[in-house]
Parts: sequence; structure tokens; C-alpha cells
Amino acid sequence: MSALADHHSTRAAPARKRPSWRRLPAAPISLAAGAAAWELIGQLAGMSFFPPLSTVLARLADMATSGLIVTSLADSLVNLILGFAISLAAGLVAGVAMGRYRKVEAALGVYVYALLTAPSLVFAPIFFSLLGEGRGSIVAVVVMYAMFVIIINTASAIQSVPVHLVEMARSYGAGERQVLLRVMLPAAAPMIMAGVRLGVGRAVTGMINGEMFIAVVGLGRIVTQAGGRFDSAGVLAVLLVIIAVALGAVALVQAVDRRITRWVPRTTRGNQ
Amino acid sequence: MGSDDYGKERALIEIRGLGKSFVGQDNETVEALRDVNLDVGENEFLTVLGPSGCGKTTLLKTIAGLIPWNDGDIRIDGTPVRGPGPDRSMVFQNFALLPWATVLDNVAFGLRMRGVGRAEREERARSLIAMVGLSGFETKRPGELSGGMQQRVGLARALAMRPRVLLMDEPFGAVDEQTRRLLQEELLSIWEEHRMTVVFITHSMEEAVLLGDRVVLMSARPGRISEIVPVPLERPRSSDVGALERSGQYVEITAYLWDRLRDMHEEHRPSKVAG
Repeated sequence: MSALADHHSTRAAPARKRPSWRRLPAAPISLAAGAAAWELIGQLAGMSFFPPLSTVLARLADMATSGLIVTSLADSLVNLILGFAISLAAGLVAGVAMGRYRKVEAALGVYVYALLTAPSLVFAPIFFSLLGEGRGSIVAVVVMYAMFVIIINTASAIQSVPVHLVEMARSYGAGERQVLLRVMLPAAAPMIMAGVRLGVGRAVTGMINGEMFIAVVGLGRIVTQAGGRFDSAGVLAVLLVIIAVALGAVALVQAVDRRITRWVPRTTRGNQ
Repeated sequence: MGSDDYGKERALIEIRGLGKSFVGQDNETVEALRDVNLDVGENEFLTVLGPSGCGKTTLLKTIAGLIPWNDGDIRIDGTPVRGPGPDRSMVFQNFALLPWATVLDNVAFGLRMRGVGRAEREERARSLIAMVGLSGFETKRPGELSGGMQQRVGLARALAMRPRVLLMDEPFGAVDEQTRRLLQEELLSIWEEHRMTVVFITHSMEEAVLLGDRVVLMSARPGRISEIVPVPLERPRSSDVGALERSGQYVEITAYLWDRLRDMHEEHRPSKVAG
């Protein structure tokens, strides 16, 4: 009996004292661990194509002070913003139309799914010959990457708006425009924003691919040039900048998302 | 001049030979309503009772102008129904509130759809929110309210339109028994003060008798009116619902309705019990 009691008490003890590691913030620790691992492996391996983090950061500082990063970054951001804005506007309009009207879905659906799954870069030569090696081609590639996922998410978001809300609005005299603007779009907003989040990530990928393979400008140009010189530290330094751009863009979308979908009860996620 | 006089003697809602069928899931034609004839008087409280599948909700939605029908004619004050109109407001079984909008915006929704300016619609919405006892909850969202409170919002939204006809589709079917009784008493006292024509769908005999001037009994497959039972209980009824429910007349009518409903269920039972 006493052994059983002891067993119980030792079992119960750690449950009462919460383990301290649970209170630590997960994201910073994960980042620090990743940075340490990078540095360690880079130092130990001593391979030129995998320099340690410190070397990459030093290279990044060089590029920043020479002004190379800033001008390229500005160039890239213009491509990104233009491409994403077009994707968002066209994606929302096409998605709402496909979600609301069966005929539009039947007409456009096959193209949208085809282009979503097609490797977007195969269109690069077409854009290149159509639009030249200027900004237009890169923006077009960004749109090819980002738009279709926004269309598809918007269409399914509109389709899953509860029928009884639309019926209610019609019973109070709402016309088609009011049903769309005052009922369907707000009701669909959380799911639409999920698509926009995916779209913004894909837009960053499209921007870099466009800049590397079509017109050699912006951050893509630095990557290409550094790669050509076998300058691994340079490539990885620009990669850090690109990751920062992507994370910043996603954070911006998430901030908008939180404002729009504040009414959605957040009960399905744990806090641990 | 003569036709004016005739108009005043007419019922507010006239339904003549209404028939509605639709194609069901297995491609079979379902006759939801067959030859429904019904007059609803001005300021009458009409309850519609029937087993599930008898087309009572379909009937309500045709009056609301939400769904088309195949045969017959529906007129409100002599004007044929062609679609939803500001003379009719609907209260829904599942509340149908906008989850992102505040109580105030939900109550003002219909007014906004009808082009009422912000100042006026918010003023009207606030007075309706007070009427249904939700003052202080104007900035809350539906997710923060109980089911009973949500349906009060639904009722306020309908009343804010100052409709001539209030269409209620099993409005208290989704709330618990105690809340339902409170809402019934409140609806009675609101209606006793602000008379209007009400068509109220329910599957509860007690509710149909407690609220209605007449009970329309519908039967299923096809949905049609089987009988109209007058409820000669005195009004106002909201003052002492308990006494009313103990009265012989109330008990008698409720028992009669149940007899009729049970017969309908027996008819549709796959194999009848012998004897």
C-alpha cells in the first residue's frame, strides 16, 4: 500500500510544479538555436560553399554599407508591391465571381486550376518576349505565382457563406450588390485572408525567380552575380534579406487579417 | 369609390390556390404545397402548426417573397407578392445574425438595406433594442450573446422595419424551454401593445394555442391546410400565462390539436399497429 502511495505522490509532484521550459518563448529560442547550429557547422565543416553565419553577416554588412542592398531592395519591393496588388485585385474579383456564379466557375475553373499547378516560371520566356526585360515581365511573373491561390481561396470562401445569411439579407431587401458587399465578403473574409497569406509568400518567390531568370535586376541580380562568382557568403546574405522581406510581407498581411477577422472566435487553438 | 370599400373588407394576406413543388435529391418531384387557400386578417396573430415536412416553412418563405411558387396567387393588401418587400419582416429559426456586426448594426441591418440614413436607423435600432430588453448590449457581437438574446436581436431587427406583417419561422425552436417561455410572454406583450399581422410557424401545440388567434393545422405529403382551429381565449394573454394554461379551453384545444397531429403521424407510419 505504501509503495503505491509513494508512487502516486512522485507522479503527482511534477504536475503541480509547471516545468519552467514551457514558459520560454518558442520563436526566439528556435531562431537562436538555428543560428548557433549554422555557425557551428559552418566553422567545423570549413567548406567554402557553406560559410558560417558570422561570415555571411559580415558580407551582408559590407553590401549594406556599399548601398548595393538598399537600391536592389527598393527595386525588388516595387516589383513585389505592383505584382501583389494586381494579384489581389484581380484575384478577389475573379474569386468572388467564380464563387458566386456557377457559369463563371464552369468557364474559368479549368484555367485557374491548370495555372495554379503549372510551374509558373515556364511562362517567363513568354513574358520576356511580350513585355521585354523591363519591370513588366517581372511583375507578370509575380502575378502568375500569387494570383491563382487567391482566386481559389476566395471562390471557396464565397461558396461556404451560410445560405441562411444570404436569405436573411434578401428578405430585408438587399440587392445582389448589397448581398455581395455587406454579407458575402465579410462572411468570407477569414478564408479569403488565408489565401492572401499564401499568395503573399508565393509573390516573394515569384519576385526573386523573375529577377533571376528574366531581367537581372533587384535582389535577384545580386544573387545571380554572387552565384556566378561562387560567392556563397554573398548568396546567403541576400537570402537573409529575401527571408526578411517575406516574413515582413506575411506579418503585414497577418496584421490586416487580425483587424478584419477580429469577430471570429479563436477557440480552436491551444495556448501552450 | 365602390372598390375602395371592397378593399377595406378584404383580408390583409390572401392566398389562393397556392402550389409549390421542387425537385428533390433523388430527382423525384416533391410537392411541398398543394392548393393552399388562406386569409389572414389585419392585426391577426396566426399560428401554423404541422408535422415536419408539411411545407409550413415553404409557405412562410413564399409569403416573404423569398422563393417562387408554381400555382396560385399571394396578395398583401391586394398587391400581388413579387419578391421581398418592406411591408414584411422575417424572424429566422437559426437567428441569421451577422456574426461580425454588433447588436446595433444587426438590428439596423434591414433599415440600412432599405436606404435609411445612419442617424435615423441607429436611433430606431436603439429604441427597438430597448424594447426587447437588450439596452447596454449595443456594441456586443452575436457570439457574445446567449441564444435567447440572439433571437431578441432577430426580433428587434424585424420590428425596426415597422412591418405590417411579421413572419416568424419557428423563432423559439432553437432556444431552451425556460428561455422559450420568457420569449413567448415577451412577444405577446410586445404584440398586444403594437398590433400587427403575425404569421408564426411552430411545431408546438402549446405555443400555437398560447399565441394564436387561429391555428392553421397543416398535413404533410403534399403540404396542405387540413383545418383551421379558432382559439377563443381572451386577450391580453401576457398578464397571466399560467392561469391561461390551466384554463379548460386551453387544455381542450391543445388536446384536440394533438389528436389531429397524432392521426397525421399514424397515417404516415410505415406499418400500422393492429387494433
